[in-house]
Amino acid sequence: MDEYAVGVLTNIGLVSFLALSAYLLLISGELSFGQQAFFGVGAYGAGIGTAMLGWPLPVAVLASMLLGAIAALLVALPTLRLRGLYFAMATLAAAEMMRIAFELLHWQIDVGGERIGPDGAQGFRGIRWIFERGVEPETFLAMVWILLAAVVGGFLWMERSRLGTTLRATGQDPELARSLGINVERLKLGVVGASGALAALGGALFAYHNSYIEPRNFDMMLGVHSLSYALIGGLGTVLGPLLGAALDIGVLESSRFLQGYRMIVFGGLVAVLLIYRPRGLLDERLVDAWRRR
Amino acid sequence: MRWLLSLCLLAPLAASAQTRADMQCKAVGKDLIYDCVVRLARAGEPVNGAQLTVSADMPSMPMAHNIKPVKARPGKGPGEYLVRLDLEMQGEWAIKLRLAGPVRDQLVLHY
Repeated sequence: MDEYAVGVLTNIGLVSFLALSAYLLLISGELSFGQQAFFGVGAYGAGIGTAMLGWPLPVAVLASMLLGAIAALLVALPTLRLRGLYFAMATLAAAEMMRIAFELLHWQIDVGGERIGPDGAQGFRGIRWIFERGVEPETFLAMVWILLAAVVGGFLWMERSRLGTTLRATGQDPELARSLGINVERLKLGVVGASGALAALGGALFAYHNSYIEPRNFDMMLGVHSLSYALIGGLGTVLGPLLGAALDIGVLESSRFLQGYRMIVFGGLVAVLLIYRPRGLLDERLVDAWRRR
Repeated sequence: MRWLLSLCLLAPLAASAQTRADMQCKAVGKDLIYDCVVRLARAGEPVNGAQLTVSADMPSMPMAHNIKPVKARPGKGPGEYLVRLDLEMQGEWAIKLRLAGPVRDQLVLHY
């Protein structure tokens, strides 16, 4: 496999974590424009863990996931009582606050004669774990996709379990779910925490892949893309966000001849798709029909 | 009007050695297409024989808006590599230099 193909597949894998975190919230009835913030928390956490503190990779990744979950819960506690667009706007505002916090974060230490660490808007260079360990791009690609497969496996199990049914019931009608004895608030807090951890996992892997991160990586554009992956692919199954991510990256890569205009064309295609398939390509109706066959 | 951009970075390769990447580009006449010269040095010595691949991402659209990686070819001078970049659109770019061969690393230049 050539370097370009490895890079594209790695990118699809990385954004899939973000897409799945947005999907988890969407099926529980919440629309978040702020998942990029937790992706950023994961990226900074993982970078600080390995490049500055010298932690082993699994410890740094787990710590960054924990940080992502805590950050998501801190955002959710005051905002989850909001509904619909108000919650979406609150998550966007929180994400922008976090991005600005990254711009204000200056913490560098001396590592091997180099100043390593977040340097505000100048970014965080030297997250070189995969290069220091001699990890080949194909090996890192396999790491990303094995982790993604594990996460997807967890989603598939969850969707077939009572928890999955409870989650979708809550997403479709929280009042009805509450009347059936479901603790909606506790369930949603759990979902928010899990989605934050999932986004942070993607962010941690992104930091290792990129070796350099900066606050602008985690602005609104990434949040919009993460939502569009789930909405394009469909909300009927966990495979929907993966399809959305593959289509997004695939269409963008295959329309390079359009140069800078390809983002405009892509935006138009998304708009048209959502008019005809508002719940995405693999929506609940299609998945239910498939399961009944 | 000729465009000129000059990029410099000190980046660590290992605790005991540092790779320095210096990149200078000038427009070839077409919009946003640049011929670039990358100079690599490590501990003051030019890095020859490296396999250098250059790509670029727009920082505000990571993984979505980037240019296809281009393999650089060796230049005339020691530690020099030549590459043509088509940046597609104006804006800020993070240029990635991925090194393989005798030196394996990735340096990111911000422009």
